[in-house]
Amino acid sequence: MERPHNSVARTPLNSVIVQRRSKSKNYRQSYRSCLGAASRFSLTPALTARRLNTSRRAPKSHNITEKVNPEHLALLLKMEWKLSYVTPLYQFRHTQLKSYSRQLSAFIAAEKQQGMAVEVEGSHSSFRVSFSVVQGMTETDDDAETVLIQIHSKPLFAGQDEPQRSVWSGWLTCINGNPDYLRSLPKDFICLPLFGSSGPEGLTALVKSWFQQNFDCCFGPLEISHTSLQWLVALWTNCHTESSIQHLKMIWTLPVVPPLQITYTVNPQDAWELWSSVRKDRQEENEGREQVEEGGSIDIEEVMRFMQGLKSHFYRHFRLDLSAGSLKQVSTALGSAKDSGRVKISNSRYMITTLTLLTECALLKMPI
Amino acid sequence: MDNSTRRLLQRLMRRIPTPLLKTTLEKWGRLTVAQRQSMDFTQPKWAVTEKLLAICEENEWTAKQITELEMIYIIDNPNQGMWYAFQLMDPEDDAHSVELMQFKEQFKSHLSELVRHVSVKIKKHTDEAVWIRIAWGDSLSRPNHLKPTYVVHYLQTPYVFVTSLTSKQKPLLSQALVLSTRYHAIKDANLSGRKLTAIRDLLMRQYQQAFPTKYPSPLAEKNHTVSNPRIEREQAGLIANRLQMACEAFGDGMLPQLQSAVYKLETKFKDHTNKTMTERDEPFKCVVKFASTNLLESLRHCASSGIASTPVTPLLSSIPLKGRNYFVITDNGPSPPSQMHASQN
Repeated sequence: MERPHNSVARTPLNSVIVQRRSKSKNYRQSYRSCLGAASRFSLTPALTARRLNTSRRAPKSHNITEKVNPEHLALLLKMEWKLSYVTPLYQFRHTQLKSYSRQLSAFIAAEKQQGMAVEVEGSHSSFRVSFSVVQGMTETDDDAETVLIQIHSKPLFAGQDEPQRSVWSGWLTCINGNPDYLRSLPKDFICLPLFGSSGPEGLTALVKSWFQQNFDCCFGPLEISHTSLQWLVALWTNCHTESSIQHLKMIWTLPVVPPLQITYTVNPQDAWELWSSVRKDRQEENEGREQVEEGGSIDIEEVMRFMQGLKSHFYRHFRLDLSAGSLKQVSTALGSAKDSGRVKISNSRYMITTLTLLTECALLKMPI
Repeated sequence: MDNSTRRLLQRLMRRIPTPLLKTTLEKWGRLTVAQRQSMDFTQPKWAVTEKLLAICEENEWTAKQITELEMIYIIDNPNQGMWYAFQLMDPEDDAHSVELMQFKEQFKSHLSELVRHVSVKIKKHTDEAVWIRIAWGDSLSRPNHLKPTYVVHYLQTPYVFVTSLTSKQKPLLSQALVLSTRYHAIKDANLSGRKLTAIRDLLMRQYQQAFPTKYPSPLAEKNHTVSNPRIEREQAGLIANRLQMACEAFGDGMLPQLQSAVYKLETKFKDHTNKTMTERDEPFKCVVKFASTNLLESLRHCASSGIASTPVTPLLSSIPLKGRNYFVITDNGPSPPSQMHASQN
């Protein structure tokens, strides 16, 4: 079997799509034809190539604090984000953000007024939207710059002089997006496939619909799959020596009546030792090789061995098979993720690693 | 009526659901028939509260009467917040003859010796349980009636159930209880839950513990034709076997409603595929929490559906057998604070 020692971005990901895309004359056409094709191809081996990378670079600690505006970074780390995927944006320009801010403010004001019987004086200014670029939140030249959107508003019963407060925030990002895919996009498209939002659902819906109308894109919920959650468990645990994970917590639910929830919390040091024990063979092999990449890479087999180790320790005590249930949530001091698509990243140093995985998930979920 | 008493009544009225208001006030027995009739329970709750406040002012009632009302409501609706079980140990010779009046007096005097400002109210419930409400103060402040501790003790038994107790108050309560019940010590029973009756039934073995040694085989009733009777019979045998094992561990009747069980595991990691970890000397430390709206029901279903292998591990069947839901598991047999071997194969 071929050894994935150089491993990094060898994704089989989008070869199919790339071909289809280049054949088509414009985006709209390709979108429609792809949808049609996808349904016809759904059982052919061609599409099985579209799956998560089976090997990824071990997380390196990124000193992102030097690159990114601390205010932006603080906001990204403060919230739990609800994730969605977004198809590429048509004619989105990073130079037009000021104008987008105005347009979206007006759009929200107009939509909010629809339900009102009487127009309240000055209500057009009740929501202030700001778009900004998060400089430095990219990994490769192909990644488009991350865009942050904040909506400020006055509380309903606030006094005249009270400042507006942030009521909603969201961002669109692309970290280590598949270069083949990104390069295959027609010129007028900007790909920021991962959308995170935090705030009232109503505002999220308005922002989405404004994007849909203006950039001809579409949004969909991004659940985090069982496999991705397991990847996060391994990627985070792998960081323990550099930045303590404090605990490794996993929540499963078992399909019995009434449903049973199992919270399995592992001591950080023991989790790390188990992790290095399933990695060991590999490292020994790698020592023999000259060109080992910095930090090496992590294979899905190692992730599975790690999970298997955790599950078998559990089984030995409770004679209960966790594989019968589903993994719902994982968390460490570095962050937490839920299968429903909610994510909190608590440590800036490993934010890029987490967002790389999620960008990949978003690209996979896109219907094109 | 001072402000704090007023707040106490307002808070209590907010807690009592509207449908229960009328009966709770009737049980209280403080209102005259005329006063009761003057209250309109179809009105919004704040209006009823205002009316009641006015009646209290008129009668010059104090915190004493209001806390009485609170006790009546809590005794009828105890499933609010977490209840923790404790067990008294080493009874004196006369421990079994302690009766209510004696206990009441002793408990009050012991506790007020320990804490300068404390307000204790004791009420006997119909089911032999003694309900104690404690409002704690300290040397400087008066008893805080907004955060009372509730204690339920069954006289002549070693069982005590407590809710809303801080770690600072715990030794004080323990001492007062030990002295007034004529025991020598009290220990944590490692059992807690939101349903008082459930943890009481588990600890005092009051629920129907039908643990059949032989489960009636459902085979006899099956009469329909099958494609392969042998396979069918074998599978039916397996299902019946799992059912029997599940019932042996958890019983076959209604189970007390427990919400969670916690295991602190400090055992060796043994896995024949992982030499490094198996040879490691230190235990693998983790905490496992099981949670469900009815934990024992869920676990029984795990066993009968085959998600849990049978026979059920003693770790899980210990919950009903030992009446506890917190365990510390080590490889080296008994270890404080709880004693239990990890049953390894």
